[in-house]
Amino acid sequence: MAGKMTLDDLSRSAARAGLELPEDELQKLLPGVNRALRQAAELRQLIADGTEPASAFSARKNKV
Amino acid sequence: MTTDNLFYLTITEAAAGLRRKDFSPVELTKACLARIEAIDGKLHSFITLTAELALRQAEQAEKELHSGNDRGPLHGIPIALKDLYMTKGIRTTCHSAVLENWTPDHDATTVTKLQEVGTILLGKLGMHEFAFGGPSIDAPFPAVRNPWNTAHIPGGSSSGPGAALAAGLCYGALGSDTGGSIRTPSSHCAVVGIKPTYGRVSRFGVVPLSWSLDHAGPMARSVEDCAILLQTIAGYDAKDPASTNLAVPDFRAVLRDGIKGLRVGVPRAHWFDENKGTDPETEAVFDNALKTLESLGAVIVKIDGKAFSIARKANQTILVCEAYAYHEKTLQATPMKFGSSVRRRMLEGAFLSAADYITALRARSVLNDQICANFTRVDVFAVPGAARPPEAFEGMDPNEQNLRPNFTNPFNLTGLPAISVPCGFTSGNLPVGLQIVAQPFEEATCFRVAYAYEQATEWHKKMPPL
Repeated sequence: MAGKMTLDDLSRSAARAGLELPEDELQKLLPGVNRALRQAAELRQLIADGTEPASAFSARKNKV
Repeated sequence: MTTDNLFYLTITEAAAGLRRKDFSPVELTKACLARIEAIDGKLHSFITLTAELALRQAEQAEKELHSGNDRGPLHGIPIALKDLYMTKGIRTTCHSAVLENWTPDHDATTVTKLQEVGTILLGKLGMHEFAFGGPSIDAPFPAVRNPWNTAHIPGGSSSGPGAALAAGLCYGALGSDTGGSIRTPSSHCAVVGIKPTYGRVSRFGVVPLSWSLDHAGPMARSVEDCAILLQTIAGYDAKDPASTNLAVPDFRAVLRDGIKGLRVGVPRAHWFDENKGTDPETEAVFDNALKTLESLGAVIVKIDGKAFSIARKANQTILVCEAYAYHEKTLQATPMKFGSSVRRRMLEGAFLSAADYITALRARSVLNDQICANFTRVDVFAVPGAARPPEAFEGMDPNEQNLRPNFTNPFNLTGLPAISVPCGFTSGNLPVGLQIVAQPFEEATCFRVAYAYEQATEWHKKMPPL
């Protein structure tokens, strides 16, 4: 999810996530959430099509 | 030597004194407990003191050493643990109301290893709640204060280990580091701390913050002490899925080999001046440290800092997503049980998408390649331990850390070993750390460089005005 959230957006997203947060708490949360969304959007500019995620999965660990 | 001035010995010095019978493990332990009793009321570095256990362990160590059963340099040495290391039968709170009365039924692997070599556990140390956010001002335990100036933060999240070591309350400690939580308090408290390579030390039994960024590691008052502690806790552990099955070298074997010809990369351009930039006094102290490294034979090489600078964004995105995932149920059920600082940071992860998380992991691949490509030109990186001296509690801006370069979290993202060693003080007598970063699983190189620097300077001999 990219772009800037409004307080209403945040309230709806919180409810969908099963979070019951008072409005003053959502207000305090909003700047940090928008900063986090902005950072995540900026990271997209770094990536070429073939870039795979750094991941810890190893099939070797499934061998018994 | 009298027993009332034992508390600022290094582990190496204390171990030698025990074997010379200058003092006993019981005397060392009693000295620490008396010092904790005398001054920890103004520092709040301990959450739980295990005095009875410590004295029992000290008596046992004393008997064993007397009978010739010597378990090595940590035998009879009093240590303490950041309060996210699980300890069987001993409360483990993570400095949070969420776990205020939780008593684990098993020990962390690292705790077991420290017990096996005969250390003495003094207690569990304060921290930033769940190793995240800022000083825990609304947690059930008071925020830890900096021994160099109690109006200032000690840095975190391993704030208790930093403060307790600087104040002479214990000889060694374990911290954890997801974005700088060993190195920042080491820098802010003028002690030594190493974040080992990801996979070098087991995290089994360490309450997670972010699985792919969490590292466990030691803190102490000297480089050699850190090497001794890491030697004990390092090694493969099948109980930690990220543990790497590699032989652990003798970290002390190369300590005194010097740094002649070592190429030290300094990624200043496009990083040190990010946003509000590095505090000028901090940068001046750091530049003096580079001159000392040069005088010891190192060659300073300028490298570009752009990838290091961007690493913060990937690190923070991954961290909040993983932290939220770990704490999701509790945040849904009882969000207000968390302190405000940690709650608001963790909740950011609830509003990022799966694609945001995967994007950050893909960016991690790119940034790893870009940062580590520098190792074709240099042997280590050098950066300050923190971008500014420890802030005062009063008027502290929780967003301040996002407005300056973050010198620690690129090395969580890349998993590289990184050590912070004291390198000077500001005009306000607040500590500054020098961070040395080496290639994966080359902690010995971190120790070698830090030791050469430490031995060429006097910073590690300064004591806070307590």
